[in-house]
Amino acid sequence: MKRMLKVCASVAAIAAATASMPSAALADWLETAAEPLKGTEISGIFLDRPGYRAIIKLLPEFEKKTGIKVNYEIVPYENTREKQVLNFTSQGDLTMALVDLVWIGEFAESGWIDPVDNFAKDASITDPNLKLEGFFPLLLNAFGSWGGTTYGLPFDNYSGLLFYNSCQLKDAGFDKPPATWEELKDVYGPKLTDAANNKYAFALQSLRGETQSADSFMRFLWPFGGSLLNKEFKSNLMSPESQTGLNFRQDLMKYMPPGIVSYDHAEAVNALAQGQVSMITEWSAFYGTLVDPTTSKLGDCLAVAPEPAGPAGRLPALGGFSLAVASQASEEEKKATWLFIQWATSEEIAKSYVEAGGVSGRMSVYEDADIKAKYKFVEPMVASWQAGVPEFRPRFPAWPAISEVIAEWGTKMMLGEVSVEAGSKEIGTRTEEILGKEGYYDGKKELLQ
Amino acid sequence: MAEKTATPNRGYGRWTPFWFLAPAVLTLLLIGIYPTIFALVTSFRRYNITRPRDGFPFIGFENYLNVLSDSTFWSSLLLTARFYVTVLPVQIALGLAIALLLHKPGMGLLKSLARVTLVVPLATTYAVVGLIGRLIFNRDFGVANQFLNWFGFPGFDWLGSPSGAFAAIAIMDIWQWTPFCALIFLAGLSMVPGEIEEAARLETSSRLSLLRYVQLPYLLPGLTAVMILRSADVLKLFDMVFVMTRGGPGSATDLVSVYIQRVGFRIFDLGTASAQAILLLILTIIISRLYIRVLYREVN
Repeated sequence: MKRMLKVCASVAAIAAATASMPSAALADWLETAAEPLKGTEISGIFLDRPGYRAIIKLLPEFEKKTGIKVNYEIVPYENTREKQVLNFTSQGDLTMALVDLVWIGEFAESGWIDPVDNFAKDASITDPNLKLEGFFPLLLNAFGSWGGTTYGLPFDNYSGLLFYNSCQLKDAGFDKPPATWEELKDVYGPKLTDAANNKYAFALQSLRGETQSADSFMRFLWPFGGSLLNKEFKSNLMSPESQTGLNFRQDLMKYMPPGIVSYDHAEAVNALAQGQVSMITEWSAFYGTLVDPTTSKLGDCLAVAPEPAGPAGRLPALGGFSLAVASQASEEEKKATWLFIQWATSEEIAKSYVEAGGVSGRMSVYEDADIKAKYKFVEPMVASWQAGVPEFRPRFPAWPAISEVIAEWGTKMMLGEVSVEAGSKEIGTRTEEILGKEGYYDGKKELLQ
Repeated sequence: MAEKTATPNRGYGRWTPFWFLAPAVLTLLLIGIYPTIFALVTSFRRYNITRPRDGFPFIGFENYLNVLSDSTFWSSLLLTARFYVTVLPVQIALGLAIALLLHKPGMGLLKSLARVTLVVPLATTYAVVGLIGRLIFNRDFGVANQFLNWFGFPGFDWLGSPSGAFAAIAIMDIWQWTPFCALIFLAGLSMVPGEIEEAARLETSSRLSLLRYVQLPYLLPGLTAVMILRSADVLKLFDMVFVMTRGGPGSATDLVSVYIQRVGFRIFDLGTASAQAILLLILTIIISRLYIRVLYREVN
């Protein structure tokens, strides 16, 4: 609560500062602000995903307006953190950090990224229409803030959604998607599964790695009332709620294709796209792949809904990134990077960004009737972002180590190599060992996640 | 006046060999010795680059003790040993068979073509081998299951089951490294003096005897090299496995190099990762010395 208040206070301060700007300054603020920075080069890392392809499409407009050159390298997600950490620790050339939801604690605590306030207080380089309150509060809080300070602006944001083949559901006698996980398993699962013909009701991407820990394991904790950690940062996996969720995942496997532990995002999306499975829970960013006739057979059969609710309500997976200014950059580069970040996440380009295939974190763009009508994922995604758990995956620096433990033991559970109970105990013990070494139990570190 | 004799080696001085060797030695120092020394020094420190504020204090043998008491390290090392004893005999047997075929007289053009073809898997990047593996062993559209279906066997869930995933990475490794063994053995076979081999062929019609008593002594140095190089290579095999399975499912393909990479570049605990790497280096040296002592014979 205290943290939330701090974020709100910081947002309000920036909003007040920017609101007092004369309206004449609004028109060409970017060109004016960039005038002394012409010729500056900034650099960052992008992923090979629709949100980045979209901003790359729009980049010439920014470069033309500002004279700032944006250098980017496209890196696979699995290597992005490694690449950035090595760059920041060796004082490399990156001026902008691409911060995944789960890296914000590590990047902020290590001093690799600068707080937004450092720049927003300088009116000469700040968009008069910056409007931090225009971002979905959940996104700004989860993706951009740590310990009450805002470091980055939400960019390329995802919510877990239920993508389904409405034609297959209709053929099985369903005119709407399942509203709850229980319904999905007990009502839809049996009717949509025909193992003899290689047809399954549901696919849950569960490949070892972040896919297992974030997309598979954690997805069955929160909606069932469970969580990874309790308030004292001790394992909460043995709580009845967490156990119910994890056992539910195990039961649900009978309606999934065999070998689901080898499914990454690509395999799950492809299984739906080719008609092998009827439903998947995936990131909103995969909408583009599923509507593209070159990669998907679904056509008009594709439909999108919010993730099913559990006994504790609808708490869908939350993922995505923010862009932040790297502390290692020179003053000029920092200013130029700040201009780029504001532009890339601005309300001004939000519509063209969405139309180019990106998912904006700005609320206003989703009120646009054209956008609502054209993109089926918008309404369920916006609904999912109204409420959610910022710490869906803990965002502290210890997460990568914990994620590895979950990835190993979570897959072992799914394979039946260990029972849910034994696997949960193992993950809990190892997680507590990691957190103990980090200093969370002897008062050295604040219990932030 | 005595005639001045011309210097026989103009421009050649005491330091000439030094200058010729210097670039290679310096490069080796820079890219080979320095990182090893750095890893050795790091292995005695607490060194997590994501926690710069904690500093890099000297902690003696703590990292080594942690590694030696880490059950995951031992199980991944054991798995690597299992992988090695699975793939190496197959690679040696297939490599030898291919080399013997290519050593037979006749069919010159086909043999030249085969020799060139053998280089292709070797020249393929590990990550690409992993990507090819993911496609070959895909349960639904992979050629491995198609192949099984042709012979009336049901499709198998290669990458989704622990034994299947282990078999899949072993098959890809065998595909990539059998040609290497074949080429080494072929080089060994070409060292056998023609007249000796010819005389032996006149003496016996048994191909096994020819191989055992005439060709094998020439193959032993190559075999030793294959075993040393493959031991080192299997201990550092990462890319292909990571791309195909990321060490899973569960820990079915969690080879020691995949584990070390995770400790070093996911958790960034470089102190522990360095200790693990140094222990592997020591292991590789011991294994190599053993091979040389037991197998290596100079051919007289």
